[in-house]
Order: sequence, then structure tokens, then C-alpha cells
Amino acid sequence: MDFLFYMGDVFTPINFGLLLLGTVGGLILGATPGLSPTMAVALLIPFTFQLEPQQGLILLGAAYTSTVAGGAVSAILLKIPGAPANIATTLDGHTMAAKGEGAKALQLSFLASAVGGLFGVFLLIFLTPVLAQWALAFGPSHLFWLAILGVTVIGTLDSSSVVKGLLSGCIGLWLATIGFDDIMGAQRFIFHPAVSGGINVIPALIGLFAIPQVITMLTKGRTRSGAEVITVKRHPIRLAFVEVIRRKTALTIGTITGSIIGLIPGVGGQIAGLVAYDQSKKFSKESEKFGTGHSEGVIAAESANNAMVGPSLVPLLTLSIPGSPTAAVLLGGLLIHGIFPGPDLFMNYPQVAWTFIDSMLIGQILMCIFGLYIAGLAASVARVPHAVMAAIVLGLAVFGSYSVQNSMGDVYVMASLGLGMYFLERFGFSAAPLVLGLILGPIAEANFIQGSMIANATVGQATYFFTGWLNWFLILIVLASVSYSIWMEIAQRRYTTKDDAVAKEEALS
Amino acid sequence: MKKWIAGAAMALAAMTGSAYAEGHGDYPERPIMLMVSYGAGGATDFQARIVTMTAGNEDALGMPIAIVNRPGAGGRVGWNWFATEADNDGYTLGAYNIPHFIAQSIEGGVSYSTDDFEPIANWGADPAVFVVGADSDFNSMADVVDYAKANPGGLTFSGAGLFVGHHIAALQLEKAAGVELAYIPNNAGGAGAMRAVIAGEVLGGVNNLSDAFRAQAAGNVKILGVFDLERNAFLPDVPTMMEQGYDIDNASVNFRGVMVPKGTPQAVIDHLAAVVPTMFENGRVQSRMEAGGSPMHVMTRDEVLEMWAARQETLEELLAGL
Amino acid sequence: MTDLPRNQHIVASGIIAAVGVTVAYISFTQEPADAFIFPRLISSVFAVLAIWTFGKAILGRTKVGNGISGEAMRNMLPGLIVMVVYIFWAAKGLGFYTATTIAFFIMLSLYDPAPHNALKTWAKRIAITAGFMLVMYGLFAQLLNVFTPREVFF
Repeated sequence: MDFLFYMGDVFTPINFGLLLLGTVGGLILGATPGLSPTMAVALLIPFTFQLEPQQGLILLGAAYTSTVAGGAVSAILLKIPGAPANIATTLDGHTMAAKGEGAKALQLSFLASAVGGLFGVFLLIFLTPVLAQWALAFGPSHLFWLAILGVTVIGTLDSSSVVKGLLSGCIGLWLATIGFDDIMGAQRFIFHPAVSGGINVIPALIGLFAIPQVITMLTKGRTRSGAEVITVKRHPIRLAFVEVIRRKTALTIGTITGSIIGLIPGVGGQIAGLVAYDQSKKFSKESEKFGTGHSEGVIAAESANNAMVGPSLVPLLTLSIPGSPTAAVLLGGLLIHGIFPGPDLFMNYPQVAWTFIDSMLIGQILMCIFGLYIAGLAASVARVPHAVMAAIVLGLAVFGSYSVQNSMGDVYVMASLGLGMYFLERFGFSAAPLVLGLILGPIAEANFIQGSMIANATVGQATYFFTGWLNWFLILIVLASVSYSIWMEIAQRRYTTKDDAVAKEEALS
Repeated sequence: MKKWIAGAAMALAAMTGSAYAEGHGDYPERPIMLMVSYGAGGATDFQARIVTMTAGNEDALGMPIAIVNRPGAGGRVGWNWFATEADNDGYTLGAYNIPHFIAQSIEGGVSYSTDDFEPIANWGADPAVFVVGADSDFNSMADVVDYAKANPGGLTFSGAGLFVGHHIAALQLEKAAGVELAYIPNNAGGAGAMRAVIAGEVLGGVNNLSDAFRAQAAGNVKILGVFDLERNAFLPDVPTMMEQGYDIDNASVNFRGVMVPKGTPQAVIDHLAAVVPTMFENGRVQSRMEAGGSPMHVMTRDEVLEMWAARQETLEELLAGL
Repeated sequence: MTDLPRNQHIVASGIIAAVGVTVAYISFTQEPADAFIFPRLISSVFAVLAIWTFGKAILGRTKVGNGISGEAMRNMLPGLIVMVVYIFWAAKGLGFYTATTIAFFIMLSLYDPAPHNALKTWAKRIAITAGFMLVMYGLFAQLLNVFTPREVFF
């Protein structure tokens, strides 16, 4: 119970002040399109030069926690995921906001984030040695199968046609191959200088989600009529608590999926939300409601992406290997103070290590409190007239995608993908599977090539990819996932478009 | 109204545009960007953030340096951008890694070479080391080479990518020991390569001395040899490759420093070349680098130019055999 | 389903099929082959699915997607032009802050339903634009230290 012993350190005036600063700042940075948690934490590193190690880490830890949750704000209100982690949140969260339930969606997302986040940090506190072994168990062959598992999700994700879902995924996988190939260094599909460095996920994400949103607002023209101004339904926080507790399945699946995926190096936070969303959709009794502004979708996605925060630090704190880009930046924050993470960390620097972990616990709660407060204010964003909103989103998209790498090319890529995506969406394609393809492509490819190289030097490809219980376990899940999709497609062919589904849902409620 | 604004904007653009082009007396008058061609949190990124932290001081550049990451394909993405698209007005600096970019330019398929960049100063030198898992049977390079002789092409070992320092070290080892090895480049850089060693996915690995030093302190790996001419102060007990009987020089040592694109005004280059090395010598920078286990090696512009030319020659020779 | 979306579907899926086939062709002809193993794999699936979709569109059996109505097209066109000029030329040509101010203001004026002849409307539009630009400048230039292209003013 060492963590209780050092709990007091979190509440010294300076530490607590930094925790507050990190949490509030993280929420704001996280809500800004283009600033992924990794970038936000990297931006804070220079400030920690001046601080004590303990204080610096509190700031970084709080910022990491709250940027992940803050991404939900723009995902829900503007349909721009702050980071890949928040893609799944847009699927139901933004639909809820469009129905005037923005306040409810935000409350649910922050409560679910806190539950998932606390669970993840407790895993970090109690099970670190066990989890460290688990994190090492994933080699190239397993990561390859895991990426394939992600690809199987594509077909059923947010699209009313499996073929078009898969086709969107293929477009994403292809876009991911543009630029230099990660291992060989060969140039592929470079048809314009703007893509010579490949397509960066963050600008692509902004473009694919934000630009279609802007154009849709424009199609309404200069009218005052109809659904232009949405009345925001007030939603008491008490009811949000009840809702989160009532949706046990989604919360449990989200939290557990997020924790497990967070642990796997290199895949981590980017797909935790999407996989959890897909899983809880498959297990839900009301799976047909997913995508139409269903609270389970928000709860699963957000509990998952915050649950991954704690476990994603396990490989760093025990083995000194950063498991995710954000963990790599945190490693830098430790190193500049001469602290080497590893098994001895908790013995040599107990005060630093435990205060850091404790501050992430308290940070989750603070994040939730501030989040619930913001939910009340921010939901009024839905009341902003569409002309103003379109202009704001466009401006944010341009600045956000530029700031990722200070690159004009990224802005062009963002806009081109966004324009294309608007037209694709009108013809039944959707952005979420496309982005998933974009994220999973490099993981699948790099691990396939690495795995093949190791296999060729040792046991041969067939043995390497098809033996061992973890490989088979993953292959079985892949098969189950594929059969489920096929069964769904045959059993209940959906003749409706997403717009129709949303309309039907509205008529029912 | 709209036309009027656009017209005024155009007129102003013409005026200020010409004003910008003149004189560099006040350089730098705004924050400077430093492009790092590896991801946030990697060794190069981490060190670049430390060595530039005092740039805003009055005795240094007087303006802060902001790090911008352009990772991908072992650095090719960043350096390609730096050679072809970066502004050469002195406000865009780049971090170089030797031998990486020289080896890549010799191998081809990229739009840069030493001729496209102007070095400013060098801040660090990180030799490559050979690591194996803590519970490995290998206890010296001789054990590794014996295994490789018994299993040609069967000794798997990881490194950060193709045509980077680790790969150069691997090629040198193959040549010096006369064996065939299976080098597995990792897409997640040095950290990913280290993970593969610790997890036992590969039998060994080439990695950065600074990272290996940490992993050894954590009890995860054994370090069998240093790919450098002398033993390193961080690891006085680890013998060099030369001591173990393999004729390997320091061609794979990872030199990190700052450069600007070709065409940057000479006045700006001179100013940077005079100021930047003193910035690296700053006491606070030195103590932070030491705390992080990152070996420093400050070199001036002239020394770096010489080192680049020497590396170009060695690498051309080494890679010609491929 | 009316004829308009059907024709649109044929054009849209035709374009995608063309892209798919081109990508597959490039993947299978480019060297080095080692670097194109993965692109070959996905582009084959891509091309097959794209042709499948195209076939369905020609047969008029497309079930999802509403297409674009003429009215929506007319409504979005002015905004789309502003957007394209802003992103692909003005942002770099005039500098980010200048271009964004102008584009933001035009966009607002084009789509704001308030009457154009009232002075109050224009005052409000200018105020909103100024407020937005202040927030952007504070966040990106001051807080995050992002150096955006600056040709005019700042």
C-alpha cells in the first residue's frame, strides 16, 4: 500500500497547483484539433526543466490523462476527434450532440473516462510485475494478427454496407502506404510533393472528420429554417451517473479492452476506443442503436481510451522501454532529472514514482469534475449558428493540421482528403473505417515484414505465424469476428442509410 | 468591400515581402524551428530538446528554438523535406544523424546528400553497442560469432532500421568476422529494437550506448561490445570490438548535431556557427545530458565538415560491397 | 430511388474503381518488389471491392448513400470556392492570419441568415471574426509557439 503512504505528497500546495494546471491545460489542449496527447506532453517538457522531478512528472502525468479525455470534447461537439483515441467517440457522441443531447454525451464521456482511467491506474499500481511480462509477450507475429483483427472490425464499423465499409478500409490501408516505406525506405505512390513524407494520421483525421462536417453545414445555405438551432436539453449530472451505472456491459467491456490494448506496445491508445466500441456493439442487446446517438457507444469508447493510460506506462516503469510515443516523451521527462526507470525505480525513487502514480489517480477525479463543469458550458456550442460554426471549424482545421509538423503539405492533404470524404460519405462510405485502415496499415505491414525476416532466419514463416497459443488465440478471434460480420450481413441486411437510421431513431424517441 | 480588402492585402503583401528579404543584422528576430527527423521521445528528439533549452538566453541566440518532429522511414522523411522544402532563411534548422543520412544518400532513393546541408555544430556522439538479453548464453562477441558460424544467416539481431548507424555496425561486424547474420530492422526505432531483445524475439541487437546503458542498469540486457575506437566512459568494463579481435572502427558512431539547408545566407551560418557550440557548452545543458546518460561531444562547424567528408569516404567504401 | 442518385453512384463508384485499378497496376509494376508486397495485397482487395461496387451501381442495386441533391450543390458551391481558395492559395500566399480573417469573414457573411442591409449585422460579423482571430492567435502563436506563414501583417 505504498501508494497510500505517498498520497499526502500530492496535496502539497505546489504539487496540487501543478496538478490542477496540468488537468485544466490538458483538457484545453486535448480539445484543440491537431494536438494529440503526445504533442501536448512534448510541449510541456521544457517547463519541467525548471521543476523538481516529482513536480515535473505530476504536470506531465496530469496532462497525459486529461488530454486523452479532452479529445472527447471536440469529438462530441464538432465531430473532430482530438486524437485517434477519440474516433469512436464521434460515432455516437456527435450524433447525440446533433440531437441536442450534447450535455449528456459529455457528462457520460467524462464519467466513463474517470471510471476507465481509475481502473487503469489501479492495474498499474497492483499488477505491474505481472503486466510487464504480458507486455513483452507480443512479438511481431502477434502484433500482425492483432492488426488483422482490427481490419476485420472495419467492415462493420459505422457503415450500413459491409462492402463499402471494407472498401473505405482499403482506401485507408492504401493511403497509409504512400510515402517512404518504413523498413526498406523505398518511395511509394508519391504523386505530389505534399505526400512525399507520407500521410500523417493527425491532419488526415482532422480533414476526414471536420471538412465533411463543414460542407454539410454549408449545404443548408442561408436559411433560418428547421433544425438550424438545436435546443440543448439540460441533463442533470445525477442522471448521467445513473446512466453510466446502468450501462454496465459497455463500461466493463470498454474498461477491460482499453486496459489490455493499452498494454500492447505500439498499438496502444490509437485503437483502444474503436475496438472497445466494436466489441460492446457486438455484445449489446441494442446493437442496432449504435451509431444513432446511443449512450453505450460513448461510454465504451471513452472508458477504453482512458483505461489505456495506466497500463501504457507499465513497460516504461518496469522495463525502461516506452510502450507508446507518449510514454517515450514521459521517459524524456524522467531522464533529464537523471532518473532511469526500471525495476529499481520504486526502490530508488519511491517518492517520485508513487507521487507520480498517485497524482494520476487524483488527476482522473479532477479531470472528471472539471469535465462535468465544462459539459454544462460547452454543450451550448450546439446553439452556435451553422454559418459561424462552419467558419470556426474550417479555421481550426487549418491551424490544427498545420501545427502538427509546421507543414503546408499537411494542410493540403487535410483539405483534399476532407473534400473527397464528403463526396464518399454521400455515397455510403464512412470516415471511421478509413482512418482505422490508415492507422493499422503500417502496424500490419511492418510486423509482417519483421516477422517474415525473423521467420526466414529461424523456423520458417508457417511455424512462426501459426504456432503458439497467443497466435492461435488471436487467429480464433479474427475468425469469430469475420463470421459475426458475415452473419450480420446475411441475417439482417440493412437497406437503410445512416441518415435514415438516425431519422428512425429520432422518430421513435 | 471584399475586393477592397483583398486589394489592400495584396499591396501590403508586396511591401512587407520586400522588407523581409533585406539584411540579417537583427537575426534572429523571431523563434527558430529545429526539425528532428525522429519521433517525439526518441534519443535524438530528447537530446535536441535539452541542448536547445538555453537558446532563448541573451548570451545564446536570444530567441527560443522550437522542436518539430518529422519522423518516418529511418529519418528519410525528415531529411528529404529539409533538403527540398525547408526555407533557407536561417529560421529552419535541422538535426542531423551521422552516419544515417550519408549512408541513405549513398544507397539512393532520396533527394539529399552532404552537399544539400550546411553543418553548424555537433552536440553528441553515441556509439553503437552489441546487446543480448540478460539471460542469454552469449557472454562475449566470440560466443556470438561462433553461433553465427554454426548457423549461417540464423543469428537474428535487431537494430533501428536500414542504413542507420546500427545497420552500418551490423555490416561492419559481418565483414570483420566473416559471417552471415540476420539483421532485423525495427520500425519503432531504437526503443522497438531494444524491446525485441528483451522480449527474446531476437537473439541479440545493436543499439545506442545511451539506451543500452539504461537497459543494463535495469538488469534487462548484457552489453558485449562497443563499436568504437575506445572504451566509453559510461561503460568502462565493456571492451571495444577491436579489443575482441574484430577490425571495426568508429564509422557507426551516431553523431548528432545541428545543420541548415544549403542556400542559407553566409552571415546567418557564421552567426550560428559561432553561437551554437557555446550554447552546447552551457553548464546546465551539460549536467542534464549527463544525468540522462547521453554522451556529449561538441564539435565546431569546421570539425564537422571534416568529419562529414571522412564518413562519406568510409561509407562509400563499406557500402560498395553490397 | 430516383435516377439522379443512381447516375451519381455510377460516377462516384466509377472513379473509385479507376483509382483502385490504377493503384493495383502501379503496385504490381513498381520496383523494388520487396517494398510492394503489402501494397500488392491490399490493392488487389481494393480493386476487387471497387469493381464490385461499380458493378452494383451500374445495375442500380446500390442500397446506401443518398447522393447529392441539386439544392445542396447550389448551397455549398460559394462556400466551397472560398474554402478551396483559402486553403490552397491564400493561407500560404497571404499568410495564415490574414487569410483566415478574410476567409472567416466571407464565409460568415455568405451563410449568416441575418439581413445584409442592417449595420448591426455587419458589426456583429466583424466582432465574431475578431474574437475568433484573437483566440487563434493567443492559442497558436502565443501559447504553442507555432510559426505560421506570415506574408502580410502577422
